[in-house]
Amino acid sequence: MNFIKDHIISSYDLSDGKLENVLSAACPTNIDFADLYFQYTNSESWQLEDGIVKNGSSNIDSGVGIRSVSGDKTGFSYSNNFQYENLLSAANTSKCIVNSGQDKEIKIGTEKDIRRLYEPISPLNYKEDNAKVEFLKDIDKYIRSKDNRVDQVIVSLAGVYDSILILNTDGIKAFDDRPLVRFSVMVILKVGDRRERGSAGGGGRYTYEEIIGKKFGYEFADEALRQATVNLEAVDGKAGAMTVVLGPGWPGVLLHEAIGHGLEGDFNRKKTSAFSDLIGKQVASNQCTIVDDGTISKRRGSLSIDDEGCETKCNTLIENGILKGYMQDKINSKLMNVDPTGNGRRESYACLPMPRMTNTFMLPGEYNPKEIIESVQDGIYAVNFSGGQVDITNGQFVFTASEAYTIKKGKIQEPIKGMTLIGNGPEVLKKVSMVGNDLKLDDGVGTCGKDGQSVPVGVGQPTLKIDEITVGGTQV
Amino acid sequence: MKNKDNSISDYKNKLQKIINKLDSKFDYEFNMSLSDGYSVTSRFSEVENIEYHQDMALNVSVYKDYQKGSASTNDLSEKSIQQAIEKAQNISINTQADDCQGLPESQYTTQKWEDMDIYYPKTLDIKNIIDLTKDCESSAFQKDKRVTNSEGSSFTFSDNTHMILNSNGAYGTFDSTDYSLSCIALAEQNKLMERDYWYSSTRDYDALESSKHIGEKAAERVIARLGAKTIKTRVCPVLFSPEMTSSLISSFLSAINGSSIYKKSSFLIDKIDKKIFPDFVNIQEDPSLSNGSATRPYDSEGVLTQKKDIIKDGILKTYLLDTYAARKLKSKCTGNGVLTNILVSSKKPEANLLQNMTDGLYITDMMGSGANSLTGDYSRGAFGYLIKNGEIQYPVTEITVASNLLQMFENIVSLGDDVDNRNRIRTGSMLIDNITIGGT
Repeated sequence: MNFIKDHIISSYDLSDGKLENVLSAACPTNIDFADLYFQYTNSESWQLEDGIVKNGSSNIDSGVGIRSVSGDKTGFSYSNNFQYENLLSAANTSKCIVNSGQDKEIKIGTEKDIRRLYEPISPLNYKEDNAKVEFLKDIDKYIRSKDNRVDQVIVSLAGVYDSILILNTDGIKAFDDRPLVRFSVMVILKVGDRRERGSAGGGGRYTYEEIIGKKFGYEFADEALRQATVNLEAVDGKAGAMTVVLGPGWPGVLLHEAIGHGLEGDFNRKKTSAFSDLIGKQVASNQCTIVDDGTISKRRGSLSIDDEGCETKCNTLIENGILKGYMQDKINSKLMNVDPTGNGRRESYACLPMPRMTNTFMLPGEYNPKEIIESVQDGIYAVNFSGGQVDITNGQFVFTASEAYTIKKGKIQEPIKGMTLIGNGPEVLKKVSMVGNDLKLDDGVGTCGKDGQSVPVGVGQPTLKIDEITVGGTQV
Repeated sequence: MKNKDNSISDYKNKLQKIINKLDSKFDYEFNMSLSDGYSVTSRFSEVENIEYHQDMALNVSVYKDYQKGSASTNDLSEKSIQQAIEKAQNISINTQADDCQGLPESQYTTQKWEDMDIYYPKTLDIKNIIDLTKDCESSAFQKDKRVTNSEGSSFTFSDNTHMILNSNGAYGTFDSTDYSLSCIALAEQNKLMERDYWYSSTRDYDALESSKHIGEKAAERVIARLGAKTIKTRVCPVLFSPEMTSSLISSFLSAINGSSIYKKSSFLIDKIDKKIFPDFVNIQEDPSLSNGSATRPYDSEGVLTQKKDIIKDGILKTYLLDTYAARKLKSKCTGNGVLTNILVSSKKPEANLLQNMTDGLYITDMMGSGANSLTGDYSRGAFGYLIKNGEIQYPVTEITVASNLLQMFENIVSLGDDVDNRNRIRTGSMLIDNITIGGT
């Protein structure tokens, strides 16, 4: 099914002829390219706190984004409804970047047959509301029964059904239906005056069937409880430059911040990135091969087609330490004279697409994780993170550990309090001296922000050792 | 703006009619927002983007027997509104009863308030706006030859209307405008690039800082960053710029928000009437500041916003409570379904904090999410300047700033008089002793 195709197009009587008129209005002769992005999004969320599911919410957001592009200039407008007259008027607004020219004749192509990486279904229709509520209550009960130090449990379940249609003046006509679900749990433990939290969660492009009543939720509950228990014992960590071993999976947020954003095409076309003009140069140790792969079935960061109708790909960003390529959308690839890479993404119809990441990870190396830790005399081992940020121009990036330990003489010691790590993108991966053989992708909770637009993404990596990076503890 | 008034009363009538037909066993609350506007970005003296926006959203919450459900839609047709209400009702039936749930008591809501002085509609010629952004960017380039690149200058405008209506008789609407002009400049030295920005943001177009000033300020700021060095790890006094102080105060405010308190996920639970800041620090909320970026007459539930002391002589006077949190904590609602303007002040503001520092750091940028709201533990990446004997020595990069928020507040030495009026949180710079700086 596709909601746009099955409901919107027919209800609003939007024939190919009318859609061609809209595109044509957005694309007079002196405009290179125009596209229409139809979107219907139905999302919901349920949250349990203080032992009860006290509220749930359901949201519908829909509309059509219209873009007119001439060289590096973009005009953009959108309509919150699907009436033909409103689409025409939005199209007339979007071409404002150029002085009026003759409308071009546009032909819409036949519907593009797309490779599907997930089922074209709405996760919201899989399970009764009551079952969702009962599931959250059950997780809460499970956690409270396992540990009498539990002071608070917050569990949430969210689902999104995103139905889109992309039409452009190159003749593309492509539909996509994108399910996305996410489960998360946060536990606060209290001992005396001390209170610490642990959180975990996961999800992907499937339905609630994969979560509700499955082991999945209870495993995340155990994981949140384990982290909170560890943090209760955490002591103040040291500040300064030191050797850091990062665990597999979610710590791959390192790659997202240190190199991912810096390799987005728009920044490199404008030469505002610390990675501008470094293609073919060594930007990481030769053990590092990093890809951005939007093609992994059912993953949170995956898309069958990007938001400009291009099939996503597995793009090699860095191969054995050498910078191979940037992530591109249509405009930037054209201006830089390279092929699009399937990374044109937008938060919604009301925002312009930009080059964005999908699932970004490092391929496995040859070391056993145990021998990586044993090689460290004095350092830290960080296994969980709460997010990061980067200044793509000077390359400075941070990521914040939420679970970490000291390493002394090759052995993992006591847990230390959460802390921020700061480094320089083009330099830090040159200091990666050991890459583990244990590649793991994250559990499916990542959201990336750029220019105020949020999109779901994934990260991953094997265990790896950075010889030196600055760590923000409180002790000197 | 006559059309706008008409459309609001149309929507009000439409919603009122819908309410009258609805199941009266439920209570209803509608929150509606409409926003029209555009943004223009120019780069290298050419238009890069022109984006028009026209947003509308309706949120509906329903209550019955202490059960709640919510739904929203951006399609304001009668049919879609009905569907949203039904959806909210279905959700409420499946949620669990909680006797703190429900509409605000009617003594807290009203239909009358003073004019807020935040609505300055103006018809602008897009050509002039394009020129404004071009001028802004050129003044950054002209200010210093080392400014070699830019992410352009942007202007944004929006004209907003908000409306609340509930089945207890609360009704309110207000209009506001937002204008902003910004510039992001890049500079390069020894093949190392830096970027920095400046912006002006107001309710009134005519109150915007001049394009020349904004461009030049962005240029000055990025030039100051050139030649940054790393430094050794140390513990020292840190002067936080007004923007960074605002970020520290924002961590404080989220920790005293009612929902953080009743969820017990704050390092400031059980702290009412306790000393959090030194004696000379006061923090007030003022919802009706003329031109204020967060000025509004009522909160998200239609409860009148209130001017109040949050910190008085260093002591915490109140949590920030909406109706639900107030009932949950057996306290009075403080109109904080939203947070309005915050004024941070000192009984002894100082004019030359930097010049009076003998040794320490001036922090102008921080990165990352390292403020732990449960424990107050604080660890973030930072950029700043090394200070010796009241003078900037050189810019400092790749450092971390770490402490615990409670200790940081306790260790505040002084507040500057350099108050930044652009943001919701109006504060000057803040000098705090004993911060751990992680470096090489």
